[in-house]
Amino acid sequence: MAEQTIKKELWEDIHKDNKDAEVISRPSMTYWQDAWRRLKKNKLSMLGLAFIFFMVLTAIVGPYIIEHDYSTQQLQLANIPPKIDIYKVDDENYFYMHAEYKLFAVTADGQLLDRIKETQNNLTDRNRVYNVGGKEVVLDYKYASMKPEENPDGIKYKILIDGVETTPFDKVQNKEFVFGTDALGRDMLARVIFGARISLLIALIATVVNFFIGVLYGGVSGYFGGQVDNIMMRIVDIINVIPLLLYVILLSVIIGSGLKSIIIALGSVYWVGMARIVRGQVLSLKEQEYVLAARTLGASSMRIMIRHLIPNAMGPIIVSMTMMIPSAIFTEAFLSFIGLGVNAPLASWGTLANDALGGLRSYPYQLFYPSLAISLTMLAFNFLGDGLRDALDPRLRK
Amino acid sequence: MGRFLVKRTLTMAVTLLVIITITFIMMHAIPGGPFTREKQLPDAVLEALNKKYHLDDPLWKQYVDYVKGVLTFNLGPSFQRAGVTVNTLIEEGFPATLKIGLAAVLVVIFVGIPLGIISALKQNKWQDGLVMFIATLGVTIPSFVMATGIIYIFSAKLNVLPSNGLTSWKHMIGPVIALSGFSLSFVARLTRSSMLEVLQQDYIRTARAKGLSNNKVIYKHALKNALIPVVTYLGPMIASLLTGSFVIEKVFAIPGMGKHFVESVGNRDYTVLMGITIFYALFLVIMVLIVDILYSVIDPRIKMED
Amino acid sequence: MADKLLVVKDLKTSFFTHVGEVQAVRGVSFDLAAGEALGIVGESGSGKSVTSLSLMKLLQYPGVIKEGQILFEGNDLVGKTEKEMRKVRGNDIAMIFQDPMTSLNPVYTIGNQIIEAILEHQNVTKDQARQKAIKMLELVGIPSPESRVDNYPHEFSGGMRQRAMIAIALSCEPKLLIADEPTTALDVTIQAQILELMKDLKEKINTSIILITHDLGVVADLCSRIIVMYGGLIMEEGTANQVFYEPKHPYTMGLLKSIPKLHKKEKERLIPIDGTPPDLVKPPTGCPFYARCEYAMRICQEQIPPYFSANAGHRAMCWRMHPEAPINENYSKVSNKGVNHV
Repeated sequence: MAEQTIKKELWEDIHKDNKDAEVISRPSMTYWQDAWRRLKKNKLSMLGLAFIFFMVLTAIVGPYIIEHDYSTQQLQLANIPPKIDIYKVDDENYFYMHAEYKLFAVTADGQLLDRIKETQNNLTDRNRVYNVGGKEVVLDYKYASMKPEENPDGIKYKILIDGVETTPFDKVQNKEFVFGTDALGRDMLARVIFGARISLLIALIATVVNFFIGVLYGGVSGYFGGQVDNIMMRIVDIINVIPLLLYVILLSVIIGSGLKSIIIALGSVYWVGMARIVRGQVLSLKEQEYVLAARTLGASSMRIMIRHLIPNAMGPIIVSMTMMIPSAIFTEAFLSFIGLGVNAPLASWGTLANDALGGLRSYPYQLFYPSLAISLTMLAFNFLGDGLRDALDPRLRK
Repeated sequence: MGRFLVKRTLTMAVTLLVIITITFIMMHAIPGGPFTREKQLPDAVLEALNKKYHLDDPLWKQYVDYVKGVLTFNLGPSFQRAGVTVNTLIEEGFPATLKIGLAAVLVVIFVGIPLGIISALKQNKWQDGLVMFIATLGVTIPSFVMATGIIYIFSAKLNVLPSNGLTSWKHMIGPVIALSGFSLSFVARLTRSSMLEVLQQDYIRTARAKGLSNNKVIYKHALKNALIPVVTYLGPMIASLLTGSFVIEKVFAIPGMGKHFVESVGNRDYTVLMGITIFYALFLVIMVLIVDILYSVIDPRIKMED
Repeated sequence: MADKLLVVKDLKTSFFTHVGEVQAVRGVSFDLAAGEALGIVGESGSGKSVTSLSLMKLLQYPGVIKEGQILFEGNDLVGKTEKEMRKVRGNDIAMIFQDPMTSLNPVYTIGNQIIEAILEHQNVTKDQARQKAIKMLELVGIPSPESRVDNYPHEFSGGMRQRAMIAIALSCEPKLLIADEPTTALDVTIQAQILELMKDLKEKINTSIILITHDLGVVADLCSRIIVMYGGLIMEEGTANQVFYEPKHPYTMGLLKSIPKLHKKEKERLIPIDGTPPDLVKPPTGCPFYARCEYAMRICQEQIPPYFSANAGHRAMCWRMHPEAPINENYSKVSNKGVNHV
């Protein structure tokens, strides 16, 4: 053992109370503060939350600030995509050629002006002639019906301006209808925003209804326990044999389509999941109370315990509700797809998707935007729900 | 085992009866009856139709008749298509649905589970990230979006896949992917989280302490335990896949059961709707039974009693 | 030094987590002879379990052996590859764990799990392995072993499960058995049985044993030597008699004092050791026990004490043992006469 001279002061006694023996390294927080802190750290969940916020805001405020209405039909402007190819005639005259072989006058930056009426419509020669800015524009579409040997490049049409074959000048964003128009000339952007209103509303109300029914059913079942619980859970088990979606469909067939009917149908079925969870939580809460009583803690401790138990129980319920919303959105879209959705002129994302099916090949954008809206919203709720599940799990408290 | 089967069969029967009753009540709750839809039929014709289909019998009699019919596998006639029985429609449509369904089941099991295992073993590395990303998409993107997306990209734009009918194996790719998308992703995620949880268990540490190789630890000790929750999910999942998805059949124009179902929804053909629902329920109940038996084979802690 | 079975030299193990490096073991050295039973005592976080896992190189990510040597029969295990270690585990060194219910795979029979260990390391047929498994079950005192061998873990009681774990561990006649808190999850009466069993087996098979526990009472009977760990370091090491009756380290004294005694008067309070274990991410610069020690001096806070020898084979790291250290009456009384006489 090495001998070193040790200074005299070092041998001084230190009293225990001076030492920080019991400093606990982390400040303690309430359950909710800790959960929120954990949720904030989850980037995906925060992203989801932000998106949901944005979507809800858009749904509420959107229809007031955009220029078009969701139900105004302008048949002559039907099926115009969001990005249009424009042809240049001269510096002041541009036109856009519609897939149905119609011409529209446009500005260079994509503002629609007016439909250009053809001067000739030669059905046998398969071409149409127009007068744009003084020049003769021929739309020759005989190529669309040619055989592959005659038409090796597979083109459908040719545009000739004063006899000169011309290709599109530019592809610009449709300024008038940012998301394009649908088959009846309605603004897609307005319809998607309005669809947000409907889809989110349906989802929210249905979820709230399911929540109340589920809490009631599950609460009663768990509280009374015994035979009552047994029977009630048996009923739930039997109901659960068939996918709940089927019940919704059958119910919808019975009560008809339309906004109110869908909400009723959705709200009458999905409560079984919530009931199960609530019942489970009530049962475990009961157990804790008995344990507490057996331990004969003071009354104040019991209150503290309940302050920890109830938040504990709320966790899975909150997560369940968050996940019910995308379920409802999906179910509504599904119903619309088989024709049981809201009625025209109301539009939900589901009915928009359904409407778009017919023209899918030619006008895919009509399906793209509502599908994107549905997918992103469901993704956002799923991320949020996943994050909430982790954040509210008391076992993961750090 | 015998006692267990008997007990379960009884439960199944009760469940089916309840479901039949629920659907029956639902169908007969519609005001007016099945023939008062579109055009106004003259009263005499209406009366004759009602008589022919026994719709003027007291309700309880109709119910008993129907149950009797179900027990003899006679699901009744279609109301909207004269001369066609529900059985015929199911027989017509089921094979196509089954074909796609079986393919989807195989995909989910033989792609989903391995993906989940890989993800768990390479936790937080790029393989895990990739698989989980795709799986999250698969779980959140609705099946019809996927179906229409596939048609648009692969049929309309790239022209590599046919978009309707079911005449070649190529026709199966689109619908199978769209059908299996959700379940595949769910199973992958479930397998992964189950595997991760199992790998934390004490008995895995014991296995390593015995000097077993990594492969043995994972594939003998961990996997069997990890698959237990997955098997539970498989039962209802297989039933749901085998009975297909109406929307996917509609989008891909598959001549399956779903198509008939959607049509019946459209023209309010109640017997067909009820018949298909009951058929579906029967299927599910049998699948769950099979899964429960499988479950008790894997996990010896579960004894097949109640 | 006679041929020791196991020599551990300055073992340092840390966990490199996202909050920083958690220094679980900060320089531990000890040795073990063949047929000897050593007890490692300490509270949660003292580093005792991590030490044992390090011996078998069973550390999970992010744990790493930073420094040191583990000489088993002269060979350093630290440098061995995973493949080489697998030949050692279960074969030369075996380990049993705290909770036998969770430590046994619920979906395979006990027999399967014993046979698996045998077949891994020994060149025998399946039948021979099965016969051996039955013999092992008999050895650990499980009745009707021929039928029990096909039972599942959940069909065994707690004590029997631990016996089964011992059977698995000893099935390949290891030279060293490490038992990490083997009795903590069991009833007191079963505890005694298991300890008796281990004592018995030690004589019969001449296995060395390292028994890890937080309970001093458990080591008293089985172990000839005891190591007391705290804050990742060994506080005191000695024979059972020395540690129990002439403890030199205040932590050991505290442990002994906190054991409830039957003969004391009814209304006496239990004497706990105040305070909580040190933070291993930022370990204290001095003696790890400083903050909870009633005999602490300024030097204790600033420098880790070296080991001082009290007797042959009895050492402790405490500044109070330094010749220049001022006399503390209580400390001297306890260290010379033992806790019971104070």
